[in-house]
Amino acid sequence: MRRRVVSQSVKSHSLLFLLLLMFMVVVSRAGTLRPSPAHAAGPRALAGRVIDSQDEPVRGAEVAAYLNDVEEPTVVGESQPDGVFVLDLPDSPIDSLRVEIARPHFETMKWMAEDDDLDHLRQGNTLRLPDITLQRRLTLGFWIATLTFVGILVLIALEKLHSTMAALLGAAVVLGTSFVGGAIRHDLFIFDFERALEYVDFDVIFLVLGMMIVVGIIEETGIFQWLAYQAYRLSRGRAWLLVIILIILTSVTSALLDNVITMLLMAPITIEIALAVGINPLSLLMPEVLASNVGGISTLIGTPTNILIGSYADLSFSDFLVNLTPGVLLAQAALTVYVLIIYRKEYRLVDEGLPPALLERLRENARITKPDMLRKAGLIFIVMLVFFVGGEAIHLVPAVTALVGAVLMLVWVSPDIEEMLKVVDWTTLMFFIALFMVVGAIQEVGLISFIAAGIKAVVGENLSVAMLMVIWSGALMSGVVDNIPFTAAMLPVIGFLTRTLPGASNLTLFYSLAVGSAMGGNSTLIGSSPNLVTAGIAERAGYPITYREFLKIGFPAMIITVAIGTLWLFIRF
Amino acid sequence: MGKILCATRGGEASYRTQDAAIALAKGRDDELLFLFVVDTYFLNKTARAVRPDVVAEEMSHMGEFLLAMAQERAQKQGVAAEYVIRRGKLRDELKAAAREEGVVLVVLGQPAGTGGAFVPADLEAFAAEIEAETGVKARII
Repeated sequence: MRRRVVSQSVKSHSLLFLLLLMFMVVVSRAGTLRPSPAHAAGPRALAGRVIDSQDEPVRGAEVAAYLNDVEEPTVVGESQPDGVFVLDLPDSPIDSLRVEIARPHFETMKWMAEDDDLDHLRQGNTLRLPDITLQRRLTLGFWIATLTFVGILVLIALEKLHSTMAALLGAAVVLGTSFVGGAIRHDLFIFDFERALEYVDFDVIFLVLGMMIVVGIIEETGIFQWLAYQAYRLSRGRAWLLVIILIILTSVTSALLDNVITMLLMAPITIEIALAVGINPLSLLMPEVLASNVGGISTLIGTPTNILIGSYADLSFSDFLVNLTPGVLLAQAALTVYVLIIYRKEYRLVDEGLPPALLERLRENARITKPDMLRKAGLIFIVMLVFFVGGEAIHLVPAVTALVGAVLMLVWVSPDIEEMLKVVDWTTLMFFIALFMVVGAIQEVGLISFIAAGIKAVVGENLSVAMLMVIWSGALMSGVVDNIPFTAAMLPVIGFLTRTLPGASNLTLFYSLAVGSAMGGNSTLIGSSPNLVTAGIAERAGYPITYREFLKIGFPAMIITVAIGTLWLFIRF
Repeated sequence: MGKILCATRGGEASYRTQDAAIALAKGRDDELLFLFVVDTYFLNKTARAVRPDVVAEEMSHMGEFLLAMAQERAQKQGVAAEYVIRRGKLRDELKAAAREEGVVLVVLGQPAGTGGAFVPADLEAFAAEIEAETGVKARII
């Protein structure tokens, strides 16, 4: 009875979550469906464009026109996403005109009409104002949002809070400060809830949701374990060959599915295989986890950072395959040589002296547990891959492919609502939603603009320097902070550099970010989620991976792979 | 002939504890019961979608494999050994196993190097806690 009550409670919570998600999509889209005043020009109007000091359009600036020195504004409008505003002026005598442009986190600007301008308006014309540049202002809200974002990075890095809790706390702080603090002191206002929702990228949410279901169903079939066992069989006890096959296997599964799931399911069977061959399991686990971090970069769905980058920069599945996969293959080849050298002594210590009963147990642990499910899910997944690659031709976005594929799997493979609840991790979706809001907050208050301006000042007009800076700062930062929030925060910065740097329109800086942020995860134990979960499993099997040990192997691997990734991007672009 | 409970993670770091437990069981002419606890709390470290049920299943398989190896080591020394896999937190499951498996003694391994399940200062207190809560004698080896 209790179990039934709990189950119903879980269902109702999930239903509520779905309703909330749909509500947020509707609210966030509502803002974009509103008729634009920019197109409402009639006789006697005032038009213009609001930009910031980096020539980027400023949306949501309040533009107030004061006719004839009145105290209250005669007409009030708002700048649109392209920064443009149009105000229809009343058909009454005009003696003077003052325009004030205000927006939170910017200095308020005033513009006074000259006699010529007033004559122009009196004749019933539309007056086009020169571009109005708003200067950034450091408000209390700026410091709150900045400290909140840094706090999230620190809390996650130090494992003081679960990532989702940290991101939700951050969203609560910025929204709470805006509403409660903003009512007390205007300087504390960051943004309103509607604006916060506009920062949530629902393409990412639905792509993550879809892939979560797909991977959740496939992982149950035992395919990962079976593949690892086949690697063991093929290698016939030759450890060097075993590690090469495992690197290829991990790389491919990480690219097509998910590198965390890959490592979670490969690590236990890998430990068994290593013991069967008579070598230290870490000499197989470490190459696997390094390869999984690198392999994930080659596709749009391989890592969450690629999903974020792909959605922001409108990069397709094929774009990643064409522009990053060859570089990843080169990096994997170098990584393979590196681990063969590092673990050369270990790989010589092969001993196949495991009793037949244990070998039989190993074989049993590596069997396909649900062949029928694998057949159906595998078929749908292949079709999904075809649509991921070819869907661009019919404007099919990856999120839709993932969602349709996931629903088909649920309906055909396991049409059970309980199963669906099991495979969907709502906390991950909440993590992304809350993270988008916090990153939106630092965009809103101007932190991203300051960072972008700082980077621009350093790199000047040189795209090569910018590429090097993005790749290597991304790689080094990913070793100390969670690369998902880091990448999410860097996207608008890269967007700005792409628009302003000569030659960057080929989106090379976005690929640079993908390479840096994901390959950088190899440098430290906390650099990526696959590292942490692999260490968790290894520790529970009695083979702990310390921070120092990981650094000793991982950091040089990061240098090698990032150097090759850099080289590839310079050749490609 | 009694039963000795030995919690082990199975890997190289646990060999010293396993060997000591095997020697103790042999000396007392007791049976050994190896315990592996599947603990998936480390999954909290990632904000990525994972299925704890599937991961726990895989870790159970790994635990069975590791304990089968420990069992093999004991049998080579002429000591009868069985094993049990439980899911949860190590401390709670160790005490639960001590209560439920009818053991006469619980052995706890001294930490060997870094990354052990227990820290030395904690070990004696935990042994006393086991004795107080389960009525089964606990010994540090």
